[in-house]
Amino acid sequence: MKSFLTKSFLWVYILSILMPVGWVVMSSLKTGADIFGNPWAPSAVPQFKNYAEAWSEAQIGTYFWNSVLVSGVTLAVLLPISAMAAYVFAKVPFPGRRAVYAVVLGGMMFPNFLVIVPLFLLMRDLHMLDTLWGLIVVFVAFSLSFSIFVLTGFFESVPDELAEAGVLDGASEAGIFWRIMLPIVRPGLLVVGILNLIGLWNEYSLSLVLIQSPENRTLPIGLANLTMVQHYQSNWGALFAAVTMTMLPMVAVYLLFRRRLESAMLAGALKG
Amino acid sequence: MRRSRAGFALAFLSPALILYGVFVLWPLVQSVQLSFYRWRGVSVRRKFVGFDNFREAFQDSIVGQSWLHAASLVFIAGAVTIALALLIAHLVEGKSRVADFARRVMLIPHVISLVAVGLIWSFLLNPTFGLVNATLKAVNLGGLVQPWLAKPVPAFLAVVAAFVWYAIGFFILLFTAGMRQIPEEVREASGLDGASGWRAFSSITWPLLWSVKRIAVTYVVIWILNLFSLVKLLTEGGPDRATELPLTYLYEQMMGNGKFGYASALAVVNIILAFAASGFVLWIFRRDPTSGRAK
Repeated sequence: MKSFLTKSFLWVYILSILMPVGWVVMSSLKTGADIFGNPWAPSAVPQFKNYAEAWSEAQIGTYFWNSVLVSGVTLAVLLPISAMAAYVFAKVPFPGRRAVYAVVLGGMMFPNFLVIVPLFLLMRDLHMLDTLWGLIVVFVAFSLSFSIFVLTGFFESVPDELAEAGVLDGASEAGIFWRIMLPIVRPGLLVVGILNLIGLWNEYSLSLVLIQSPENRTLPIGLANLTMVQHYQSNWGALFAAVTMTMLPMVAVYLLFRRRLESAMLAGALKG
Repeated sequence: MRRSRAGFALAFLSPALILYGVFVLWPLVQSVQLSFYRWRGVSVRRKFVGFDNFREAFQDSIVGQSWLHAASLVFIAGAVTIALALLIAHLVEGKSRVADFARRVMLIPHVISLVAVGLIWSFLLNPTFGLVNATLKAVNLGGLVQPWLAKPVPAFLAVVAAFVWYAIGFFILLFTAGMRQIPEEVREASGLDGASGWRAFSSITWPLLWSVKRIAVTYVVIWILNLFSLVKLLTEGGPDRATELPLTYLYEQMMGNGKFGYASALAVVNIILAFAASGFVLWIFRRDPTSGRAK
């Protein structure tokens, strides 16, 4: 009896997660009339044209590729420079190291949004406002604290003897880092990469302020804009399709890397 | 050798430190500076006004409302999230197919963007095609059918529901990890004593989860004070500001009204109150009941 109650409760919980998501996916394949006619039933014929309309007419395709570009380039810059910094914090002593590390980690403590006013003005003065590369620079800067924090933990767990062996072989400091250390912390880079990818793909508040032109919109702001524009509100099927295209890539990433992600999120929470 | 190490350290740190300094630290400092000016961002003229912006903030009734809403969200959404997460964490500990399935899907709402979460809930609550009203009608609770997002209290409850839906998986993860830290012997011993179900939970699991509970409460507070996109997409702070939050109001003052100085002052007040709130949480949890006091 007890186990029956437990199981039923868990099923209710699972349904409460999957039903809204599944309903959005189902509705993305319905005609407008069917969406209004019966919320429960799928359309007789799946309306794949909703996706085509969302992708081209509603510009979701442009936003999608902008998001791919911004997330990809951000990671390509972020991972090496945060690994370099993390390596120094973990393995290369210098005066004041602890203080500098504390200042860098301080970035995890406050909400990004609180610097939005001066950041907006700074980007405007640097002529980086409303550009994708400006957004990339900001994304890299705001992802550093967390990435350095996690990677420092990974470098700390690498035994010193490995670096010493490199010194004996006559390798330079930089050579030891690139050829010996970086390959060892590959699991760390993967975890930091995936966690940041999810955050970057979904980022809304900074992009909303820093991007203005329609052609520069990333997916979250493009999607948000789509719902507000009255013109498209008549095409609900396309809007459901747009939501589906925004969320499914990250659901896939999560299901693929679930265990690694969970342990990284826990490490961040329990130590931080 | 030593000299070269310092040079190496500097070379390897500088890309990260320069970006961090210019785009994170410098704006943070400027936030404080800007809050003492009246400035609309466009002209070169900006006028030093001392604490005027802060005075305005304390007299602005919407600022007060937004903080009241944030505090109510912390208490209501926070309590619901943590209580439900504890219960579910307790239930998914078992080794069954359904528990395994639940663990697999629990973070899905957390990895899809808050923009998507806000939109999904606005669709669910849509008065004409939403699933919520349709379900209420189907189970003969038609009396509860209403335009959820058009009325103050239901709209607030919608924000609570969407937040719980988004956040709960992470807290289940946190509590499951906390429960794994409870030594196997302790759990086994309680089983021998005949403690089971609620008693095992209240006398062993709950008190031993102390450190995890502190982390959980801190996270709830920080997440709710950071809430922006969810509310922007779900209710836009409405109806009639019933779900206005500190950050949605800050955004309106900045991008809507161009009051850059005032928005900065709101940000500074926000930082101070956030630190005070986190400090308060740490103070409440200052004493670990598992050390010392026997019960």
